[in-house]
Amino acid sequence: MKNEVVRVVTPLPLTEEQKEIIKKHLSRLSPQEDFTLQEEVDPSILGGVIIAWGETLIDCSVKTQLQKIKERMLKEMLKEAS
Amino acid sequence: MINVDWSIVFQIINFIVLVLLLVRFLFKPAVQALESRSKHIEEQISAAEAQKKAAEELRMKLEEEEQKIQERYLEMIEEANKEAAKVKEDIINEAYQEGEKIKKEYEKRAQKEAEKLFSQLREEIVEIVETVVVKILNTQITPEVQTQLIDRLLEEAVSQIEEQMEVSYEK
Repeated sequence: MKNEVVRVVTPLPLTEEQKEIIKKHLSRLSPQEDFTLQEEVDPSILGGVIIAWGETLIDCSVKTQLQKIKERMLKEMLKEAS
Repeated sequence: MINVDWSIVFQIINFIVLVLLLVRFLFKPAVQALESRSKHIEEQISAAEAQKKAAEELRMKLEEEEQKIQERYLEMIEEANKEAAKVKEDIINEAYQEGEKIKKEYEKRAQKEAEKLFSQLREEIVEIVETVVVKILNTQITPEVQTQLIDRLLEEAVSQIEEQMEVSYEK
């Protein structure tokens, strides 16, 4: 099996349970690969996780979700105003 | 023999001579003078009548001129009134149009300003909401919640990636 180093950004240090969950989901995408998590703590992402390896980026951070909601709200408000 | 009273004869002769002399030197010049005078008076009368006629013609001419001047004056007054009315109307129209233009410009500006304010307000509201949500999340996200978030969000993301991969394989 090929070993892949994955960068994982979370607001709090990862627990063992969380690491297992992440690995479980990643193995769904690439069953032939073994993932080594390179942890990084960034409280500014508020919650969730950002995973990056190779050219792949999975942004499941609460910060990004909030940003999307914010953009949608502004767009809706603008549509209502016009 | 007839006795002639020569004194009477002389008196008659004197009378006749006197009459002849009077006729010759008094009546004729007097008549001529009278005729001349009469003719002069007639001429004067004729001249006066001619003058009167000329004066009458002049008076009529002056009256006609006066009438024409009066008519022209009235025409000019009427023209001036019409021109003044037109100028007045033009000024009113111009002022109205200018007013409308300014009004529209202000309305447009006010609308833009209102839109700008609403836009700012919307952004501020969203910013406030975001700040509140961030504050709440900062206090609410425990390791347990974070575990659930990771599981749920990754599930969604991975499912989406799998769907995309399936679509690209099918193609």
